[in-house]
Amino acid sequence: MRCRLAGLNTVLALLPISVLAQATVEGRVELPKSHSAPVMAKRYEIVTHSGVLSTQPPLAVVYLVGSFPKPSSPPARQVAQKDLTFVPALLPVQGGTRVEFPNLDDTYHSIFSYSPAKRFDLGRYRPEERPIPSEIFDKAGLVTLRCDIHEHMRGLILVLDTPYFVVTDADGRFRLSRLPAGHYTLKAWIDSETTRERSVQLTDGETLHVDFP
Amino acid sequence: MIASSGPSKRSAASFRTKLLAAMMLVVSAITASGFYLAQRNVTAAAKRDLQQNFQAELSSLDKVQKFRHAAIAERCSALASRPRIHAALEDNALDLLYPSAKDELRDLMEGDESAPEEAAPSLHAKFYRFLDAGGGVLSPPNPKDVGELSPQAEAQLGLKQLAETQQVGYAQENVDAEGEIADEIVAVPIFSTETGNVISALVVGFTPFELTGKGAGAGMESGIWVNGRLHLRSLSKAAQSALGRDVTKAVTNSASGQNNLTVTINGAPQLLFYRRLNPDSLFPPAYEICVYSLADSIAQLHRLRWRIGGAGALLLLGGFVASHFVAVRLAKPVEQLAVDSERYRAQRKQAEAALASTNEELKRSARYSANASHQLKSPVTVLRAGLESLLTHEDFKPEVYEELSTLLHQTHRLTGVIDDLLLLSRLDAGHLQIKSEPVNLSQLVEEWLDDLSALPDSVDVQIEKKLPAELYVAGEKQYTSLIVQNLLENALKYNRPRGRIRVAARQTNNDVVLTIGNTGQPIARAAQEHIFKRFHGDATRSPVSGHGLGLNLARELTRLHRGDLKLVCSDDDWTEFELRLCASQPAASRADKLG
Repeated sequence: MRCRLAGLNTVLALLPISVLAQATVEGRVELPKSHSAPVMAKRYEIVTHSGVLSTQPPLAVVYLVGSFPKPSSPPARQVAQKDLTFVPALLPVQGGTRVEFPNLDDTYHSIFSYSPAKRFDLGRYRPEERPIPSEIFDKAGLVTLRCDIHEHMRGLILVLDTPYFVVTDADGRFRLSRLPAGHYTLKAWIDSETTRERSVQLTDGETLHVDFP
Repeated sequence: MIASSGPSKRSAASFRTKLLAAMMLVVSAITASGFYLAQRNVTAAAKRDLQQNFQAELSSLDKVQKFRHAAIAERCSALASRPRIHAALEDNALDLLYPSAKDELRDLMEGDESAPEEAAPSLHAKFYRFLDAGGGVLSPPNPKDVGELSPQAEAQLGLKQLAETQQVGYAQENVDAEGEIADEIVAVPIFSTETGNVISALVVGFTPFELTGKGAGAGMESGIWVNGRLHLRSLSKAAQSALGRDVTKAVTNSASGQNNLTVTINGAPQLLFYRRLNPDSLFPPAYEICVYSLADSIAQLHRLRWRIGGAGALLLLGGFVASHFVAVRLAKPVEQLAVDSERYRAQRKQAEAALASTNEELKRSARYSANASHQLKSPVTVLRAGLESLLTHEDFKPEVYEELSTLLHQTHRLTGVIDDLLLLSRLDAGHLQIKSEPVNLSQLVEEWLDDLSALPDSVDVQIEKKLPAELYVAGEKQYTSLIVQNLLENALKYNRPRGRIRVAARQTNNDVVLTIGNTGQPIARAAQEHIFKRFHGDATRSPVSGHGLGLNLARELTRLHRGDLKLVCSDDDWTEFELRLCASQPAASRADKLG
């Protein structure tokens, strides 16, 4: 996914700046201390500490809050089940997005969610199930994904009312570009219980530096 | 004898009465203690039996309950691992909890429609509810699926806090207007598979197991006491509440979880056992109550009482008869004893009287003897004086002188006899006291031998003597002298012409032995044993004169000196006497004088 984002940035960089006079925000989110040292190609997992869900190692989602029009054709995203985990473990989507849940394992999965933001139950299905089982996430909120067969599997889908969001890297650094100018609230989702926010004044063509301590 | 049989019979009869009374007392005591012991034993045995039965019932109850609890615990841990249950609890979707659990717990509630009796001991639950993290009851969206409960009953399922262990309790529920029932409820914690924390609890309600009451037989009722109320189906509501108060009092006063008490239900005594069903539970304490009718044991006690009473009566009767016989048998020798003792007493009295009179006679005779001797002495003296004065006359014929001389000799003899009698009478009366002092026996014998040889009518005898110079004996010289005189006179008197006398003395150990032997006609064998008797009348020894007192007097005096005199031999022209006296040292004063 990061590769894809990097590709997108490259495409955006090639566009003339005057055509898309847009603002950029970059900075760093102070992430909770990880209990284990970061390892390359480390899988991210969803963990619960006394009811608080977060990824492990920690990641944050930074997004711009505001009233933005919904996309006419919602983009399709995927959360795959691979090696009995959800990949990606944390997926932010804009409301209205259809998310597909391809089974990349050689076993059944039965993905469901009891979360208030989205209740669904895909039932048991095999890898070759076509079409790939999918759900549209309309309501903003955190959706916990579970598998009825593999009780340890957890995934998070953060449904947002904004198209402007990004997942930080493992160090908490982020960069949000092509943002509309104006006065907004910038939020950083750290775990199911912790969301930090900052007011930001965005100006076209300028890069604002915001840190979430 | 005949006069004394009255009182002795009376005493025998009283003895018999006393014996009877004692036996009655013993039998009564045995019967009474039998009563007491039997009562105590029966009561204790009944209590013990019922207690054992109660414990057995409870342990079997424990077993099935444990089985049930284990099964539920297993079910719950399986349930807790279900992702949907987790999802419902953790993702704030409690409305989905019951639907999610419905399939899992379906078999718990199954059989609801089927016959409950058959399913009763199994895992057939009446209802179940989930508790939230705070211990509150989560209301089910569709109560029909999880067993309907009244709000009051549902409220009893909650806990103040979730516990990590199984909690057992009892909840009351109004079934109808008539009464309430208590349901066994088991709260099983549900642990989060991720954190290990207790996130919820499943409370399952069952119909409580009933004690079968097989062991102790009929009359056993069991129920449950919880929250101050007793649930004992067979009793009326009023009896239940009355009994419930008793149990409440006992339970609140007793520190231990179990005990027993005696209660009365509808006027009948009952033994009630109780034991806490849910020790250490967060639910209110509940007690298993078992009420056993004591009618059986009381009836048994009654029967036993009759038996013991009958046995006691029989024993009493037997004892009465036996004691009668024993008394008669024992009384017979006692009666005989009384009779005998009466006779012995009479005989003793007679003997005592005889003894007294004999004593009196003896005294009198001794006195008489002394008096007589004195009375006799004076006429003899007068007679002798008369005869002597007649002899001084010179105008009588020679034949008259001879006659007078003979008479005078006789008066001398008479005086000797009277002296001896006087001494004997004093001896007999016990008046003679001797003053023990050293007496030189050798000297005494020498003096007497001199005197004898000087006697005018002495026969021609040869005297051999073998005497140590100084030989002292303990005695009074006067009487010792008399003894020696008597013996020597006899030796001379009964000797034959040209005979001999042998006198020998020696000291042995503490005695001095003096032997005096003489020739002459021996004493007849038949007379030998009588010679020491008074007036033995030894006529055969005539022609020599003798009045028969000398030897007797000698022996009496010797014995008074703690010595002895005996005849050693008397045969073939030789008669020998032996005198034995206590030896003594010469008096010190005299020894000094001599020295």
